[in-house]
Amino acid sequence: MEHYNMNLTLKVWRQKNADAQGKFETYPVSGISSEMSFLEMFDVLNERLINEGKEPIAFDHDCREGICGACSMHINGRAHGPWAGTTTCQLHMRAFKDGDTLTVEPWRAGSFPVVKDLTVDRGAFDRIIEAGGYVSVNTGNAQDANNILIPKDDADAAFAAAACIGCGACVAACKNSSAMLFVSAKVSQLALLPQGQPEKKSRALNMIAQMDKEGFGSCTNTGACEAECPKEISLTNIARLNREYISAGMTYEK
Amino acid sequence: MKWSQFFNTSIGKKLLVGATGLFLCSFVIVHLTGNLTLLKDDGGEAFNIYAAFMSHNPFIQFLAWGLKIIILLHAIIALQLTFRNRAARPVKYAINPGNQTSSWFSRQMAIMGSILLIFILIHLKDFWYVMHYGELRPVTYEGKEYKDLYYAVYEAFKVLWVVVLYVIGMIGLSFHLVHGFKSAFQTFGLNHVKYNGLINFVGVWLFGILIPIAFAIIPVFIYFKSI
Repeated sequence: MEHYNMNLTLKVWRQKNADAQGKFETYPVSGISSEMSFLEMFDVLNERLINEGKEPIAFDHDCREGICGACSMHINGRAHGPWAGTTTCQLHMRAFKDGDTLTVEPWRAGSFPVVKDLTVDRGAFDRIIEAGGYVSVNTGNAQDANNILIPKDDADAAFAAAACIGCGACVAACKNSSAMLFVSAKVSQLALLPQGQPEKKSRALNMIAQMDKEGFGSCTNTGACEAECPKEISLTNIARLNREYISAGMTYEK
Repeated sequence: MKWSQFFNTSIGKKLLVGATGLFLCSFVIVHLTGNLTLLKDDGGEAFNIYAAFMSHNPFIQFLAWGLKIIILLHAIIALQLTFRNRAARPVKYAINPGNQTSSWFSRQMAIMGSILLIFILIHLKDFWYVMHYGELRPVTYEGKEYKDLYYAVYEAFKVLWVVVLYVIGMIGLSFHLVHGFKSAFQTFGLNHVKYNGLINFVGVWLFGILIPIAFAIIPVFIYFKSI
């Protein structure tokens, strides 16, 4: 694709800290290369702000290769911007054209409070994992291959669910701020495998209880989460979570 | 896990909304079948006999009160979830994705459901109340006296704004079920490539289009017959 430079107008959410009232600030940026990533564009802007003696824009980032899930930006109404199946760091400026105005907001959800500017606290996800998103066994040495037989389809489905990076785009994209896609991926990756069976019931019930406690909304099956997920986690996982809930809730004695 | 706990989580409440919703879908079919006798050109005999059966048979009466409770349960739990869902995002986005990431119908469930609930209350007042507690002129078929609900229906639908109101109610039903029918299956965990196409087809074409249109034809037909 041909390289080009562009001038853009950025409207960015600025918020001093969790308690402060935030507001949008407008920044014109010029000479942005179409080859830059969205975050590199922010680096350019922040460098300028620092040189001008202003506070740079705080945003989360870590790996910059689409696997850490830190870059929680809502760009022109879309979680991680307009491209499907990408995080913000993998969104490149060629997605935009010269003269565009880009509105950048943090994830909006009561359960993801804004820490500063575009940085949000996704600790609620950690607490959901702590509630049951694990297997309580010592792994020890690696077992012989094929010691435990797992159908290939199940292994593939578990792997697809395990691709979830916990970025929170599902919550950000959902009109209800529901965490069902995240929870369903984390329950599915274990429910599909033999190692996940012993704690199957308590896991589903405890993780769902924690999800409710954190204040996430409920799922109305709009499919916005699936459309925005950078790892393209499927809604079939939510159906599986519902099945896990029904079977566990109807038989769990505790 | 106690049953009270089971139905008190977000998923548990959704299961109740889905189950009551599907029950109401089945009711809609029964109700339409009966109502279509209004279009029969027999001066109301078939419809009045059907209406008398529906309001006197003890089993039907039991179902009818159960139905009203189920409508209320469906509405109350769904509204409770809706308010909770709204509260989950205290600061709104400046820009929303609109139809880019989800269908318009899927986002209007609470609005369409509320239109439908108001419609149901008006509809009960218009016909159910007059049939049970109001004054209706008598009519005799084969020596047996019946209440002439048929006449009341034909009188009501002579008024244009009543017809418009009923058509709006059916648009609400259509838009609610386009998403609602298939959504209930997903909530029950019934999502499988082999059946999704069928569920979608039935939800959109039967419950979303065919049934609401068949319902709406009745007041429109009566109105045009009267002018």
